[in-house]
Amino acid sequence: MIDVFRPFVERRTYRELVYLLAGAPLAAAWFGLLLAGWLAVGLLAVTPLVVPALVAFRWATWLAAEAEAAVARALLAVDVRVPRPGPSERGYFGRIRSALSDASFWAQQAFLVLRTTLGFGIGVAVASFVGVSLQLVLLPVTYSFFHEDVAGLHVHSAGIAFAFVPLGLLGVLVSPWLVHWLAAVWRRLVRLLAEPFGEARDPATEMQAFLRRTLPAHAAFYAGLNVLLIVIWALTSRRYFWPIWTLMPLAMPLAVHAWTVFVDRGDPRRIARTRALAIDLGAAATLFLFFVGVWAVTRHGYFWPMWPGLGLAVVVGTHALSTMGRRIDVLTTSRAGAVESAESELRRIERDLHDGAQARLVAIGMSLGLAEQKLGSDPEAARELVAEARAGTGDALRELRDLARGIHPPILADRGLEAALAALVARVPLDVELRVDLAERPPEAVESAAYFVAAEGLANAAKHAAASRVDIRAVRMGEAVVVTVMDDGRGGANPNGAGLQGLRGRVEALDGTLRVQSPPGGPTIVEAVLPCAS
Amino acid sequence: MIAEDLALLRDGLTRLLRDNGFDVVAAVVDGDALVHSVMLEEPDIAIVDVRLPPTFRDEGLRAALEARRLRPQTAILIVSQYVEHAYADELLADGRGGVGYLLKDRIMDVDDFVAAVRRVAEGGTALDPEVVAQLFTQRRHGGLSDRLTARELEVLALMAEGRSNAAIGEALVITVGAVEKHVASILQKLELAPSDSDHRRVLAVLEYLKS
Repeated sequence: MIDVFRPFVERRTYRELVYLLAGAPLAAAWFGLLLAGWLAVGLLAVTPLVVPALVAFRWATWLAAEAEAAVARALLAVDVRVPRPGPSERGYFGRIRSALSDASFWAQQAFLVLRTTLGFGIGVAVASFVGVSLQLVLLPVTYSFFHEDVAGLHVHSAGIAFAFVPLGLLGVLVSPWLVHWLAAVWRRLVRLLAEPFGEARDPATEMQAFLRRTLPAHAAFYAGLNVLLIVIWALTSRRYFWPIWTLMPLAMPLAVHAWTVFVDRGDPRRIARTRALAIDLGAAATLFLFFVGVWAVTRHGYFWPMWPGLGLAVVVGTHALSTMGRRIDVLTTSRAGAVESAESELRRIERDLHDGAQARLVAIGMSLGLAEQKLGSDPEAARELVAEARAGTGDALRELRDLARGIHPPILADRGLEAALAALVARVPLDVELRVDLAERPPEAVESAAYFVAAEGLANAAKHAAASRVDIRAVRMGEAVVVTVMDDGRGGANPNGAGLQGLRGRVEALDGTLRVQSPPGGPTIVEAVLPCAS
Repeated sequence: MIAEDLALLRDGLTRLLRDNGFDVVAAVVDGDALVHSVMLEEPDIAIVDVRLPPTFRDEGLRAALEARRLRPQTAILIVSQYVEHAYADELLADGRGGVGYLLKDRIMDVDDFVAAVRRVAEGGTALDPEVVAQLFTQRRHGGLSDRLTARELEVLALMAEGRSNAAIGEALVITVGAVEKHVASILQKLELAPSDSDHRRVLAVLEYLKS
């Protein structure tokens, strides 16, 4: 049997309770901070003052996050350290960019938003739960002082008062477990502050995973809170249906949350192009429905939600147009790039054949012709010429083999990416760490592009970067394959060189993206995100 | 028995083997025919191209492994335009001798090739120098060259190809006695147990190179 009373003597329980109750006042503070921050940034957006506003907001958010982390360390006994905001890029737009692209800034805000919404709800709910339970337990003592109504029943005798005591006792006994469980939820959520979106290098995908993981909890919270309030409403007045004011507004973040989860399943390609639009659309629709709901609940009359609806439609429409325009631009360049890279690849093959195998075959033919002439007169010289011809065919074969491997390595089709990369690595005299983690084989074109990204990265590391260690990874992220080649060489690779440019054409033809980072002094990182259209 | 889809190479190989005293009992063009005639003709050795119709991928390798599963005493020599040590691993996986994996280029060195065919038919091993070179490249960071002398590295490579001491002596122009001394020294340095059969020696060396 579980020791039901043990949690009551543990300090941990009370610390956790304080943490949960602190949610309510902190929620007010963070709500003010976020609102003031975004209002300031939003209102100043058209003036140069937006930069100091944004920077100040970023630091204020960091301080709030620090405070939250300190509270969590003390009360939840979790070790969270908040990373300080990193150095900014120079210049006006640089500062804006580095603030807005700082993943931990967004993670901190996300946590503060959670604390204002979920934290407030949980704080109030826990306080009510514990309070009501205690009140019921104490009812036999208190009923005569305060003529109380419980659930519409007037408590006027000790008998009725005692009837409520078991219910109160049950509530009190359950409270510590409820507190533990909710504290465990917060212990997970508070990690958001420490490692912005985990260790992965793709914050968007990680954010997506986080949203997906938390959706059930969010929905459960929404359902639980509203059921509780409706029960309270049913037990009490049953007049004006006031729970509508939690049902409706809290449905909005839930709807947006669900929308972001279902709109896509973490495809980084769509994050850049259509996902933002999809989220915009979902948020706008939810907001509009909210206005309509408010209009319906209040006065009906004049249909004022038309005006915000119109505004939202304009915003979404502009967004859609600009996205489509950008998409067309990208398609046009990537198609041109694909044609270009295929062309230059064919030219290279033609040149290699012409200078290599063809020339060798000519030389072999000449040797054999000479040998034929000398067969009668000088058999010894003829034998030498034949041996020479044989050596020549060996060279020709080797060149053709290398050429074929450069076009499409046979092992790639036979055994897949992992085996092909292992074979590639085996030919390079470098210390290479290879990690391939793909549940199933991607489409052939993706496999081949992934292979050549790794091959080019490896070749550059060996030839130009004077690297000693190379890290190659090919992993699946959502619906894309991400290939990363990192070396410890001297860096300074030219992203517009022929090799990388050809690679870019190949990757973009598949709707993928190629990123090359190679600061002087290294390290060089080549990363390709290759969507697997399925 | 030969399985090769290109008529030019099939006929050339048949002629080369017949001229060197082999009896070619069948020359087939695809994997199914290979398995079928191995069961029918019971050859001592099947020489198989990796790429065969209909897929032109590793059909030949798969068919050869299948034939060997059905008739385990069949020796297999895989020939290919390219070599990958992953394929060599699959061939050697059952731990028995009588397998070979060579580049088609090696056929041009007729004497060597014929010797390899005989060796495999008799239950030995023939691994292409390129496969061995791939393994050596991988091991370079394992400090192989620090522990062995240049001559010992040469001997080790030839051992990995599956050659006998006598053949190693011939290739390096040294006496069999000298080879035996090198081999003993290599095995001792790499802490490998000496073994009586050449094939087991190959497996031990490959195991070492891959570890």
